[in-house]
This record gives sequence, C-alpha cells and structure tokens, in this order.
Amino acid sequence: MVAWNVQNVIINLISTFFISMSNSENKYWRGIEELEANPATLENISNEFSDKLPMEEILGDTEELSSNRRDFLKFFGFSVSAVALAACNKTPVKYAMPYINKPEEVTPGHALYYATTCGVYNEGFPVMAKVREGRPIKLDGNPDSALSQGSVNAAGQASILSLYDINRLPHPVVDGSEVEDWSEVDKKVNGILAGASGDVYVVSRTVTSPILQASIQKFMEAHNAKHVVYDPISYSGIRGANKESFGADVIPSYNFDKADVIVSFGADFLGTWISPTRFTADYSKNRVPTPENPEMSKHYQIESLLSLTGTNADYRYSIPASKQGKYLVSLYNMLSGAGGDLELPGNALKQIATELLAAKGKALVVSGSNDKSEQVIVNAINDLLGSYGSTINLSASMNLSNYDEAAFESFVNNAGKAGAIVLLDANPVYSYHNGAALAEAMKNVPVITTAMVVDESSNGAVVHAPNNHTLESWDVYQPMNGHYVTSQPVISKVFNTRSTAESLRTWAGEKVAMGEDQASHQWVVDFLSNDLGQDANKVFHDGFVQKSTGGVSSSFAGSVSSASSRIASNYKESSGFDLALYQKVGVLDGSSALNPWCHELPDPVTKVTYDNYVSISRHDAETNGWEQGDIVKVSGNGAEIDTLPLLIQPGQARGVIGIALGYGRSVQTNADNDLVDLGKNAYPFVQSSSTGTSYLAQNVTIEKVDSGYEFAQTQTHHMIEGRDYLREATIDEYKKDNAVRNEHKFETVSLWSDYDYSKGHHWAMAIDMNACTGCGSCVVSCHIENNVPVVGRKEVRRRRDMHWMRIDRYYSFQADADETASVRVGPSNVDQEFKKGQWSTMENELAGLDKNSASGDNDYGHYDNVKVVHQPVMCQHCDHAPCETVCPVLATTHSSEGLNQMTYNRCIGTKYCGNNCPYKVRRFNWFRYNKNSKFDYHFNNELGRMVLNPDVTVRSRGVMEKCSFCVQNIQMAKLNAKIENRKLEDGDAQTACAKACPSNAIVFGDRNDPNSRIAKMYKNDRSYKMLEEVGTDPSVLYLTKIRNRKEEVQS
Amino acid sequence: MFEASIRQPLVEGNKSIADVSNDICAPIENKPTKLWWLGFSISFVFLMVMVLSLGWTVWEGIGTWGVNKTVMWGWDITNFVFWVGIGHAGTLISAILLLFRQKWRMSINRSAEAMTIFAVLCAAQFPLFHMGRVWLAYWALPLPNAFGSLWVNFNSPLLWDVFAISTYLSVSLLFWYLGLIPDIATVRDRAVTKARKFWYGFFAMGWNGSARTWHRYEIVALILAGVSTPLVLSVHTIVSMDFATSVIPGWHTTIFPPYFVAGAIFSGFGMVLTLLIIVRKVLNLQQYITIGHLDAMTKVVMLTGSIVGVAYLTEFFIAAYSGMVYEQYAFLNRAFGPYWWAYWTMMSCNLLAPQVFWFKWARTTPWFIFMLSIVVNIGMWFERFVIIVTSLHRDYLTSSWAMYSATITEVGIFLGTMGLFFTCFFLFSKFLPVINMSEVKSIIKSRE
Repeated sequence: MVAWNVQNVIINLISTFFISMSNSENKYWRGIEELEANPATLENISNEFSDKLPMEEILGDTEELSSNRRDFLKFFGFSVSAVALAACNKTPVKYAMPYINKPEEVTPGHALYYATTCGVYNEGFPVMAKVREGRPIKLDGNPDSALSQGSVNAAGQASILSLYDINRLPHPVVDGSEVEDWSEVDKKVNGILAGASGDVYVVSRTVTSPILQASIQKFMEAHNAKHVVYDPISYSGIRGANKESFGADVIPSYNFDKADVIVSFGADFLGTWISPTRFTADYSKNRVPTPENPEMSKHYQIESLLSLTGTNADYRYSIPASKQGKYLVSLYNMLSGAGGDLELPGNALKQIATELLAAKGKALVVSGSNDKSEQVIVNAINDLLGSYGSTINLSASMNLSNYDEAAFESFVNNAGKAGAIVLLDANPVYSYHNGAALAEAMKNVPVITTAMVVDESSNGAVVHAPNNHTLESWDVYQPMNGHYVTSQPVISKVFNTRSTAESLRTWAGEKVAMGEDQASHQWVVDFLSNDLGQDANKVFHDGFVQKSTGGVSSSFAGSVSSASSRIASNYKESSGFDLALYQKVGVLDGSSALNPWCHELPDPVTKVTYDNYVSISRHDAETNGWEQGDIVKVSGNGAEIDTLPLLIQPGQARGVIGIALGYGRSVQTNADNDLVDLGKNAYPFVQSSSTGTSYLAQNVTIEKVDSGYEFAQTQTHHMIEGRDYLREATIDEYKKDNAVRNEHKFETVSLWSDYDYSKGHHWAMAIDMNACTGCGSCVVSCHIENNVPVVGRKEVRRRRDMHWMRIDRYYSFQADADETASVRVGPSNVDQEFKKGQWSTMENELAGLDKNSASGDNDYGHYDNVKVVHQPVMCQHCDHAPCETVCPVLATTHSSEGLNQMTYNRCIGTKYCGNNCPYKVRRFNWFRYNKNSKFDYHFNNELGRMVLNPDVTVRSRGVMEKCSFCVQNIQMAKLNAKIENRKLEDGDAQTACAKACPSNAIVFGDRNDPNSRIAKMYKNDRSYKMLEEVGTDPSVLYLTKIRNRKEEVQS
Repeated sequence: MFEASIRQPLVEGNKSIADVSNDICAPIENKPTKLWWLGFSISFVFLMVMVLSLGWTVWEGIGTWGVNKTVMWGWDITNFVFWVGIGHAGTLISAILLLFRQKWRMSINRSAEAMTIFAVLCAAQFPLFHMGRVWLAYWALPLPNAFGSLWVNFNSPLLWDVFAISTYLSVSLLFWYLGLIPDIATVRDRAVTKARKFWYGFFAMGWNGSARTWHRYEIVALILAGVSTPLVLSVHTIVSMDFATSVIPGWHTTIFPPYFVAGAIFSGFGMVLTLLIIVRKVLNLQQYITIGHLDAMTKVVMLTGSIVGVAYLTEFFIAAYSGMVYEQYAFLNRAFGPYWWAYWTMMSCNLLAPQVFWFKWARTTPWFIFMLSIVVNIGMWFERFVIIVTSLHRDYLTSSWAMYSATITEVGIFLGTMGLFFTCFFLFSKFLPVINMSEVKSIIKSRE
C-alpha cells in the first residue's frame, strides 16, 4: 500500500515538474501599477509570489496538478527520503499474544501474590510469590508466618532463579535419551524394579512433606524398598543430645527475642544455623534500645572463625574449635559453682557465667557444634539457666534434618549390591565425605533420579524423571512441628516434569491422574481437610496453618559427667591445623551451585564473591611466611585439595583454618560462565562416622604451592580511617545521652534556593545499624527486583560489581597490650602510644601495630579482637545531589517527591555523576550485560530472562544506573491508593531491600506523613546523615550503632 | 627600522626577502625528504592504532578500559586535559604576544598555532569517546529537538566544556587560516604545477597583496587576537571547573582556574619547544627559529613551572589548614599513597626540572632544552593523572576505595592521539609554510 502511494506521488510530481518548467516569469514591470508605485502593488511585490501558491490544489486529489519547481523539490526530497527510510528500516516483528480466555484475576501489568514456599534448606519456607502475567518474578517472606516474619534470606530470595534454570532437564531421560512420554519412563522404571536383584533404596533429603512421605511409604511397600535420608549438613548432635537429655529426638526452636544474654559457641545463627531468617528477626527485636527502654540484649560469641553472627556480637572471643567442648564444660562448672579450668582473656568466661546467672530465665546458650556430648553440656547449661520453656521451645521443634549417619553409612556400604537406587533430590555423591566411594558403588546399580538437573549423583542415572520445581507444585510441608506450610503452583510447568510424589505412586502401581498435578492437588486438599481438619482453600490463601502440638517434657535427664568425660577423652591436640568447615550465607550447602545471585553476593564477612578459600589468622600466616593470595595445598585425614587461595581473616582463632562447603560442584551445565568449576569441594574433609558428623578436621597441613591469587572482593579497604560517617557508641553512653556521637550538628549552606518538599510525598529511608546484621538479604532482593546484571568474577575483580546496594563492612582492631605503633603521617613516622584495649580504625595505625608485632614476639594479638560494623549503602537520594548538577544532558534529575531519578534513555554515559557521588553508589554499564555470551548468566537466555521484572528497564550498554528507591513500587502504591480512592498509607510503598530485611533495619516511607515510621526516625536522636558536612542533604538516615559493652581502655 | 645595536637580530644569517621565500617554501616545493617520510609513516601507524582502539571501545564498550565503579575517569580525561593544555601556547603566542607587539613571536607563531589546532583535535577525541554512548554525543549540544522538552543542563561543567572547546577550536582555526592567506598566496604565485596553482589559489581566496588588502588583513588579525586572548584564560579555566565545581576532595579547589591556566601554558610551551627544536633541525630553519627564541620560551617555561609549583604547595597548605579530614587525606594520599610515584614524577618534572633554566647555558643549548621539554610534557601528563586518579580512587567512603590501571586499549588511544597529532603536523610541514613568511619579512634586517 505504502509503496504504491509513493510511486503515484512520484509520477505525479515528475509530471508537475515539466509543467512548471514551461511557466516563465516576467522580468520587467509587472504592470503600470508597479511603475506608478501603487502601495498595494508594492506590498504584493515584496512577496516572492504575487499569487497565492496553489497548495490545496496539489495536496488535494485534483487530477490536473499545477505546481512549481520548489514544490516539486520539496515533495521529491520528502518522497525519496521516505522511500529510502522505508527500505532501510527492517522493523523486527514482535508478537504480543492476547489471552483467548483471560483468567479472571489476571490483568496485564498487575502483580498477583500467592502464598507458597521456597525450597532452600529443604524446609518449606513460607513465601509470597509475586506473579506478573503468569510468571513468578520475586519471592518475599510470608508476613503472617512466624517462620519468615515477612522476609526471606539471601539464598531463599535467589532460589526463584532455579525455576528458570537452563540447566534443568526439559524432559525425562531414559537410557541417555530424552523422551517426551512419561509412560516410557514408567515402563523403564517398572522394568528396573521388577528385575532388581538386590534391595531397592529410596535416598532423599529430609522429608518434611507428609504427601511425599506417604508416597515414599507406598513405593516402599510396593517394592519392598528401604528409605534412607541424607542431608549434607547434619544436626544429629543436637538431636542426639536432646534425645539423651529429654527423650526427644528434636531440633528445638530458639527464641532469641526473649533472651537478654545470648552466648553462642560457634553457632552462626544469623547466617546459616538452623533457621537464620527467623533468628535474625527475633534477635533484632531485642537489639534496638529506645529512649523509653534503653536496654538491649547482650551477645557473646565464642568461635574459631569470624562468622556473620560473630560480627554482630557485643563481645567476641576466638578459640580453637577443638577446644570448644572444654570451654563449654568450664562454663558449666562456673555456672554450677565449681571453678572452670579454661578461661577466656580478661576472665571473660567468669563474667559470662555471672551475667548468665543474673539473667536466669532470660538467657540462652547455643552451640554450633554437631557433637552430641557438647550439645548435652549446652542442654545442661540451659537447664541450669531455666531456658527451657522461655528461650528454648522443645515442642515447636524444627524438622530440619533427620539424617541418621549410621543408616546412611550402611547404605553406602551396601550400595554396590543394591538392586536399584531411587534418588529424590538428594546428592550424596557430591556432599558425602566419601562421595567418591559411593559413586563407584553406584556405577553398577541402576539409578533412578528425580533431580531437576544432572548433578554429581544423578550423572549416569538410567532414568531421569525430573521433579517439578517447588513453585510449580502442590504440596504441604511441616518445617516446624505443628506448622504446616502449603505450596501451590504459581506458573504452569516450565518443562515436561512430574512431581516426585506422583512418580513414586505411579511406580508403586497406583493409578495417578495425569495432567497439571491434579493428583498432588487432591492429596494436599485431602491432607488439609481430613488430617488437619482445615478449609483447604483458606490454608492455600494464607500459605500456612498452625496446629497445637503436644508438649515435650523439659526435665533434664542427661549426664553432664559422662558428657564432659567424653569431651575430655575425645580432645586431641592437633599437630597441624584444625580445619573448620562452614557454610557461606549465599551458597549454603552448595545445592544452589548454578545460581549466579548466590555467588555474586559477597560473603558478608570477607566480601569475597565467587570463590571459596582457606581463611587463616594473621599470626599463623606470618609465622609460616604466607601472604594473602598465596595458593596452598590442603591435606589431612585422607582428603586433599590441591589448590585453594589463602585469605587472612581478622578475628580468626590461631591454629584454625576455615574452608567453606558448597563449592567445587560439577553439574552438567549449558552455560559458559564463572559458575562452572567454581571453587573446591571441601566435603571430603567432613569427619563422618556412624555416630555422627563433625565439621572439624584435625591434623590438617597446608603447603604453599603458588602465590598471587587475586580475590574478587567488592571491598578491599576494611577500616574507616577514623572518619565520622559511621558512628557507634556504647549502651552506657547512650543511656547518658540519646544523641551520643550526633551532638555536633553541621550548619550547611546552599547556593540554590531549596525546593519546597512540604507538599505531597517526600520519600526517605532510615537504616538502623543496630538492627542490621549484614546478612545480605537486601542485596539479593534489590538485585532481583531491579534487574541488576550479574557480571562475574573478572568484572568484580575490576571493581565493576553492579549491586545497587551494598553492605560495607569495617573492622577495627584492639591493641592487646600497651604498644607503640609507628604511624606514618606524611613523610615521617610518628610514634603513637596504644594503650591496651584501645581501638585502631586506621590502616597506618594497624600497619604500625603489625610492625611492632612482627619485630617483637610475632604476636599479632590485635587481630584476635576485632570489632565489626555493617553499613548498608545505596543511593542516598540527596536533596542537593552532586550528581544532578554535573550531568550535561539532564539524565539524572530530582523529583518533586525527593527522589533522585535516573533517565536511562537520556544518559550518554559521561560518568561524571558517578565520579561526583560522595557515596560511590552509581553503577555504569561497562558492557552490554544482556544477550551477550561473554556474560552467560540468566540475562543471556530466553528462560532466565523470564525472571526479569517487567516494571524495570533492562539497561543498555553505556548508561549509568543506580538505586531508584524502587520507584516502580512507589508508583504502583500510589496508583492503587488512587484506584481505591484513599490516601497512601505508611507501608504501602516499600523498597525491595526494606521488604527483604529480616531485622526490619531498613525503614522506608514518606517523611511528610507525621505518623509514618520514617517520620519518627527523623525524630530519633540516634539518626544522622552520612557525610552531612558535604552538604548533599541525603534522604537516607543512619542510626548510630550502640554496642552493649564497656570500653576497657587501661590508662 | 630601528634596531638597537645591543639586541640580537630576530632572524639570523642576513637574509634577504627572496631568501625568506626560498627557504620557507622549499619543503613545500621540493619532494619530501626521507626523514619526513619516516616520521610521517610512524605517525600514521600510530594514528591507525587510535582508530583501532577507538573502534574496539565503541564495539565492545567502555569496559575495555581499566576504569571502574570508583575511578570512572582515568587516562581518558587525563589525556583530554593534557592535550587541551598543550594547545594553549599557540594561542598565547599568536594572540597575546601579538597584542604586546613581541616581534620574536613571528617566526614561531605559525607552527604554534597549528599545534594548538592539532592538540585540540586530539583532545576532542577523549570527551567524545569516553561517553558510554558516543553515538548520542550530539545530545550534549543545545539543539532544538523532537524528543519532547529535552534540553541540555547549563549547570554542568561538561556543557561549559563543550562550548569552551568548540569556541576555542573555531577561533584558533580562523586565526590560523587568516594568517596563512598571504603565505598561501606566495606559494600560489611561485607555483609551477597546475594543481598547486589551483589549490593554493583556491585557499588564497583571491589575495592580491594590495595595500587595502593588507590593511584589512591586519585589522582582522588584531580583532581575532583580541577575541583569542580571553580564550587563553577561559578555556583551561573552564576545563579546571570540571574538577573545581565537584565535591570530591582534591578536586573541589578554588585555586584550580589560575593553576590550570599556568599549567596549560607551561605544557604548551614545553610542546612548542619539542616541536620547534625538531622542525628547525629537520627543515633547516635554524636561522629563523633562533637560539633567541628558545631562550625566550624557556623563560616562560620556568615562570609558569614555578607558578604551578607554588599552586601545588598552596593546595597542600590549604588542605592542612581546612581542618577537613577528607581533604587532608586526599593530599597526603597523593604524596604518600599508592600512587606516590605519579605525584613525585609530577613534582620533579614540573617544579624542580624547569629551575635549571635559571642558567643561561641551559636556556641556549637546544639538545638540553629538547630533553627538558620532554620532561615537562611528562610532568604535565602526570599532573592531570594525579589530580584525576588519586583524588577519585580514595574519596569519602573507604569501602569504595579502589585502584585503577589503564588497559592496552587506553594506552592505544593515547599513543594514537600522538599519531594523529604528528600526522597532522607532518602534513602541515609538507603542505603549508611552517613560518609566517609575510611577517618574518617585516623583521629581517635587509628590509632597511
């Protein structure tokens, strides 16, 4: 059509041209009027054409056109360029598919929230899934459930990506080839099971789903199979101890909110231990002093590695992990009146005992050890302190793990003779200490697996019958005794998968209704209505239901003396290093190996992304002449890791090295990125026997093989250099003056006339550094919500991580004796006196103390006692923003609601704004991170891109980006309020970080609303603005960190 | 013309007017020498390196550079300021010295002006290609557009840069071309080939050498000199405001405008010396570009070097006096932080080295001056590196502190602009008279 029209116009115009050529103009007087200078004529002459141009005629449809050369040229030029443009521009064809039958509740552009679960830790964690146009794009905690209290930890947030993992099996696989029809799978499985010459084993992780449990039961009955449970992380110590002490094989619930004195022996309860999200939420409730109630809990952490929990402790002591049991016995003895034989520096253990006794009924002692004897002592201590029934609840126990080492060991020993092995998401080949032997044994056994990806254990399986993802399934879990959490599908199945429960029952010979999990749905409904007597629809809506449970006797019946003698006899002096194996907050046990968000999230303590490493104390490194970045070989107890980089970790106990579990996976992957061959597997060092599992290996030796490894750290300077932007005080100082450290108010002047923000909204944020534990949940939440690209290890090394928000972690070091530090100020060294107990926050002071240590007794005592602060930093949305004035094209501007806005489309990428940001929160798109095979993460495949938030632009190469205060959520909240014809309420608009924060450390809201939480924060005496003296007038407040400790500088 | 007997003549060798024309037109009218071909080829190779490096940058992204989330400007803006600074000597010599009637400028102003233009061309590459989306660079111009109400930000020093640099380039180009017209006409009149006659005739714009033409020429030259004079001060003042108006310690300094202008003239004269010492040797023009010229220019170098040195010390004093920890740290970090080597290179090259020009021998020995001019160039490059990188890499929040080092792409672009500069200069020396013949003819002795 267009081409035809253009052709016509051209033909018409060419003919017009020839017609106009024949007209000639009069060169002489146009008439007597002109000669006579008639004014009207003269005026007319000044016009180029005395007659009106026949434009209408040309543009009209008149057949006979009269035009002139100029018009011809105009039209000719237009037509030619139009034709040229039409010919050049090949518009890509995009399909927008409308619904044929639109589901009633779906409105494009509107998010729906469903209560369901996420599958981290195998515990059925209650979440709300945000679903846009049929795609779940974000997980937030279920606010009503006590387990989540409205937030999910970093790994849980990230787990949504496993739904869109390109490494998932798209179809079942039989004998190495994909099949589309499940009946072929069932035929093959039945054949295997019928011909099985030995025992049939079902190997699963701890099953918290009664549906799955029943299916396993049916399968076992049908095939005379045996069920073995395998979990990579064992809690058999606690369970065994509770069985011995109280006759209940349980992992109890701990109530950190009810404890005034918390003593943790190596339990990383804020990071990885049992139920960290819930513990963080509880813990922070009693950590924020207010003017009305200027009290907070006191937290002692006694551990060998510096854990996330340790960084939050008021007092932290490093002890070798192997001596932990002895310290526990000592504490018990001190509490019970006898003297203990071990003491911490400064008689701290005695002090702890005194304080624990004073806080009887409000005290809590926990231990991260998996040793039964140690846990019995812990139970005895808690019993002495009256913790049972107050801070510890035995009846609301956690169904986290019922892994039985003895049962599994016998399975491993007999696996070679098994008739068939059915693996239900369990991956023992990778994480069992003797996984290699198990793999060898399984070689000759037909293996049937329901794993979603081809992992170490299912590699070589005869049948892959991939399970649904949690977000695709109907199920019900009981993560905590009496607490049932349901999961419902929030998306149609992405691949040709079938729920494990359905597979098992089919294989058990049951007739299972096929289709979109109708059978599973029915089973869940039956369970909820028949077994629990609930209205199933209501439970699905709420996402969970609580049932009262029978009480467990809490009268302590354990034997302290036999436990302590076991500890004494088990204690061995290590000739080499003690190797403490731990989990990292993002990576955990390693099951989310292919999730880039977990690996790009920096470790909250070391700020290292992507790698695992050997952490070591400064003292040990210096004594052996090792440096950070040296590559070492670690060996001992029959296990060996040939190369791992060495990281010097302040606060780490001497004689102890730490290696994180969960690395060194070898999963079949379709992507070529940094997640392939990532780190080294440390599971072979796990000490496992039929009596228990210990994550401490002794007599480990290290040998330096190379040097010069560069860690991909998001932060490389670790001290605040005595600067004022991070403020902290002790509780006593706070009690004297609520505004301690904030006494000095800056008077800033401005060259600009200020905008009047008093009308409408004025968005602001406050971050309570007392509540913040640094867990990183907000970082991942922000990453997901705002489509922040994953850049990989190399780019992090080049300091180009794209996180819109980061958590800065700072150390300060305490002099352990009176020392003279030679501090370099300018060209010369100045001798500075350091009193014992004095804190050093400057790099040159630390270097001075180091030098002193090196020349003296090679001691490095100041590294043993570190103080840590976590400070989340995102765009401060300055009302006098330095970035805004310097942008030449106004790509970053201020909104009337106080938001610092970034217009990606307008940005030309001068990066001046980034340079001029005092907080360094602006991030530049150095490369194109989407659809670029050099960044082969989820942005690079169709499936992974389904997780993108459609409300947020995916930024192109060459533009700047940064935190927007989740402006899309603000906008949505405003629109919703408008639709509902009401005022916006506090909490309607939430940023992703504030929603994700388990400790409610981040408060976001409208400071113009006098009743909002944020307005109250502005009145809080602890609040201050970071770098206020620069005059940027930021919209983010920080609240001074208060520590429940006394400063003990000896004078 | 009166000539004080104690003064050295401005042109040596007792040249006649014909000698001047013959000597200066010789490179244009003869085949280029082997030396010229060698120099030109090397420069051209480097120019291609620039094309490749810029191409790679545009194809892959700014990520091919070493800049990061903390240090977002590195070699790019360092080179930009470096090249802009170099341009300044040309303008100073041609405009200010013209107004002050400094006749010694006459034999060097042409090449100094050419240098200005080529340096500004080199400089322009950096603000252009440091943009993440260089294809949208025209958005930085206040062009009426159909994108809605989009307009440029007149608060941004980068926009001031756009105006400053484009004004500078156009005025310099105009001034240079105007001065060239009588000489081009001379070449035209001497031309023996048709092509030469046509092209030089075209660019001579019908110059006829009449008294009226000369009169108008001189008036316009004076007007343009008047227009250019403030540019000597304004361009680098505005460039310095890229830093001075920011909030970054080490950048946020009111001393920057005069300090940058002095530094620009310092580096510009350094570069003029480098070039002219080569040119007078290669093109055999020692009698026009005399030791006296070198002597005068080294004095300027010494003076501006000392001004810059005072500025360095003043910055330190003010930082200490300010009582602001961030400011104090920024300066201590410059001198004793991880980039200490850059700082001390800068100090020794810019403050200490030029002090040798107190000695007459140093001012009159061309090979020594040549070496010192290179030292000055290095020092001034490091000055910009120190200001940009050491200020950025450790600013307010210590968590963001980072190191920066250039990648091969950035090095390639910098070496490439050297190639661009010298390619232009070699072409200039081949096709245009490197010395202003008409002006030089007015100061030779035989004129009497």
